[in-house]
Amino acid sequence: MSQSLRPYLHCVRSTLTAALSLSDFASQASERHNVPEIEARSSPEVILNPLTVSRNQEERVLVEPSVNSVRVSIRIKQADEIEHILVHKFDRFLTQRAEAFFILRRKSVPGYDISFLITNFHTEEMLKHKLVDFIIQFMEEVDKEISEMKLFLNARARFVAESFLTPFD
Amino acid sequence: MLLLDYQNVLIESLLRDRFAPDATPSSIDQVVSDFDNVTFHISTPNTKTQILVSIRLKCYPELLQYGAQAVLEREYGAYIVQPEAGYDFSVQVDLEKLPASQEERDDLIRRVSLLKRNAMAAPFEQAFDEYTALHEEASHYTSESAPQGVKEGGAVRAIHYREEEAIFIKASHDRVTVIFSTVFREETDRIFAKVFLQEFADARRRAIQNAPQVLFRNDPPLELQGQTGLPKVKGEMSYITFVLFPRHLTPQRREEVISHIQTFRDYFHYHIKASKAYIHSRMRRRTADFLQVLRRARPEAEEKERKTASGRTFRVQG
Amino acid sequence: MANQTPAVVMDNGTGYSKLGFAGNDSPSFVFPTAIATKGPAGSGGAGGGSGSGRPAVANKPTFLTGGAGPTGHLSGKRGTEDLDFFIGDEALSAAAGPGYGIHYPIRHGQIENWDHMERFWSNSIFKYLRVEPEDHYFLLTEPPLNPPENRENTAEIMFESFNCAGLYIAVQAVLALAASWTSSKVQDRSLTGTVIDSGEGVTHVIPVAEGYVIGSSIKSIPIAGRDITYFVQSLLRDRGEPDSSLKTAERIKEEFCYVCPDIVKEFARFDKESDDRFRKYDVKFPNGKTTTVDVGYERFLAPEIFFNPEIYSSDFLTPLPTIVDTVIQTSPIDVRRGLYKNIVLSGGSTLYKDFGRRLQRDIRHLVDARIKASEARAGNAAKSGGLDVQVITHKRQRHGPWFGGSLLGQTPEFRSYCHTKAEYDEIGPSIVRRFALLGGPGST
Repeated sequence: MSQSLRPYLHCVRSTLTAALSLSDFASQASERHNVPEIEARSSPEVILNPLTVSRNQEERVLVEPSVNSVRVSIRIKQADEIEHILVHKFDRFLTQRAEAFFILRRKSVPGYDISFLITNFHTEEMLKHKLVDFIIQFMEEVDKEISEMKLFLNARARFVAESFLTPFD
Repeated sequence: MLLLDYQNVLIESLLRDRFAPDATPSSIDQVVSDFDNVTFHISTPNTKTQILVSIRLKCYPELLQYGAQAVLEREYGAYIVQPEAGYDFSVQVDLEKLPASQEERDDLIRRVSLLKRNAMAAPFEQAFDEYTALHEEASHYTSESAPQGVKEGGAVRAIHYREEEAIFIKASHDRVTVIFSTVFREETDRIFAKVFLQEFADARRRAIQNAPQVLFRNDPPLELQGQTGLPKVKGEMSYITFVLFPRHLTPQRREEVISHIQTFRDYFHYHIKASKAYIHSRMRRRTADFLQVLRRARPEAEEKERKTASGRTFRVQG
Repeated sequence: MANQTPAVVMDNGTGYSKLGFAGNDSPSFVFPTAIATKGPAGSGGAGGGSGSGRPAVANKPTFLTGGAGPTGHLSGKRGTEDLDFFIGDEALSAAAGPGYGIHYPIRHGQIENWDHMERFWSNSIFKYLRVEPEDHYFLLTEPPLNPPENRENTAEIMFESFNCAGLYIAVQAVLALAASWTSSKVQDRSLTGTVIDSGEGVTHVIPVAEGYVIGSSIKSIPIAGRDITYFVQSLLRDRGEPDSSLKTAERIKEEFCYVCPDIVKEFARFDKESDDRFRKYDVKFPNGKTTTVDVGYERFLAPEIFFNPEIYSSDFLTPLPTIVDTVIQTSPIDVRRGLYKNIVLSGGSTLYKDFGRRLQRDIRHLVDARIKASEARAGNAAKSGGLDVQVITHKRQRHGPWFGGSLLGQTPEFRSYCHTKAEYDEIGPSIVRRFALLGGPGST
């Protein structure tokens, strides 16, 4: 882990841990409804100030807390075209399987690559610190995966090119 | 699979089956495709022992112009029959008049299954011949005094073998240039292609010194100036230039070089797709890993309770 | 149609994959749905630097074969092991040698291993069919009750990896019905009927109404081709024939077996005219030796296990005709008449001579008995008009679903039923959850 990544992840971890103090909260706007307030945005008083943790221009995390739900959006590093397309592909792949991920939001918040929506129901049945662990690990691994895929692509391209040109040799 | 086959596997396996000594002739009627909009029709129209293989190519008129007839006649000779309606070229193999020796039979199978390759080879062969002639001529001059025609090289042969894509071949006195134009509609493919092409261009510098030089760009290269029928779209079109040097053009190498370079476009597209497939499997694996991590967040309390409950029932029964 | 490329029809079954182009009357390739990949055996550094033209295959199994959790990936970056595999018959022969392990990506009709399936398709398309998927429409098949997620995964692969121009996914049973249109017995091209699909592993009885599978009434029978082979083999062994290998049993099953109307009479007939009925089968061993195996009662006994399962198995005892009858009786009442009238056979294990005739007779007996009973209960006051039972046998039975796909794939309107790449990009994988009914009412 590089030197600047550690404080970044640490900061995200503390922020998330603090934000994930959720409680059951019935909707004030419509009777007998219980909706994630951060999505509904019907009662401004239960929505807290959003917070951005940035590592640099490219990588940042947006945490939007509210009384019963937190939305976490991640912008994944993408230095060039290749990384951009790989991130895009990976996001699509994950959101396609959002059903299995419980907390994954099917659409990411504009300006970010992937979003999670954690509600009080999630924190009730799952361990809070493990959820935070998951998000931190996700951030770590996603970067690694993207750069590995890029490496793979370059290596494969080289291999393919050489294999094609070898018979001419 | 790394390299694509030059021959059509279906034709090859069909003929091999039929040529086997104990095979019973049976009727065949198959219309099959091959790469690059090529359609084959394999049939037994008259009797079960006469196998007719017909081919249709989009660029056949162009190929004829570049001497395809001669090449095909050389390759297939007596097997050529009147082209079937709707097709450009037909060969017929009579199972009752097969060559006697196994080698000759294998050779026949090989040749018929290479029908597409041979048809497409004509302009290449012509260009290679032209190179030889120009080379001969150029050797009489120094580089400064050469007359215009020799310096410039011959005309560009264009083969519009696909809807929007074409191969251009140009011979000059010290090289033959082969240019592929290819389209990538998909954003992902376009970016992958760029990575691949960069490696194609670098391979010669790095590893394989004797390989043809490969260049690529998104607008038509200088050789194609004045060509008509180039698509207007810019950006998504790629032009890939292979510069074949004299060492590739020797008569001994020529057959292999022609076969191989023909597969370039499909090889290229195949590997882009194979990489995507690999990336898919990586993502699948990674997704499974993430899910595992997430599952750890679920406390296992329920599981334990069930165990004690079942344990208790055991005790009662026991 | 002149300039249109033919649609690619791929029917990937548990045992065999049938690949070909629409419009043909038989698939171009039929080979086992098997893929041989480099086994996890052997590890070491990835071969060589970039200097060598074709580096040795990096035998580091990337995390795909390794355990969970992150591993050092750098050594796998030159990995090309995902290109090093074989499919079909080549896979079987490769797996016989060292270094390769064989996998069957489809189990019970459903795709289990998507990584392997994706590569299987890749090789099918580029090595065997030799097509550029961007130029062709694809017709794939799926078993009944395939979860929609599997469809989505299929679409994801076909569109994202291969960029195929268009895709249609049809249910095998429906295609098998379409394939029966070639039979002269079929007058109206309806998509209502009962499909008996018996392959290598399992036999399904699937009722289809107007092109839609009645999922709640599907029944499977654990008796199919493989069991018949085993049964033949056991009979050969009991008799102490010189060769009772599985291969011999399979050849005897395919060449000599037929369905008889009545076993007792058939036994008697065998004893009376034994010269005519008993056959001999010459076995050629790979090492050049030959031997002769007598073929006797197994000729009619083997397929008989469909009709009298008790002679083979002790845990499954319901005869096939009874199953078919139950399936139709549990279907909605308004389609039962159509289901009885159009019982379609499909798959290699339905090819025995007179299989259809026997099945038709037995089902008719069951139906007539029931009608008679209910008439008696009504005090013979009302007479039933009778029920038409018809089992359709046709020439394309063996590759029924594939042929049905070929038939529908060549129709001019086929393309309008497909989802195209552009639609996929617009809407996403969920688009393949729904397909308009191909060959249904309203189309030609």
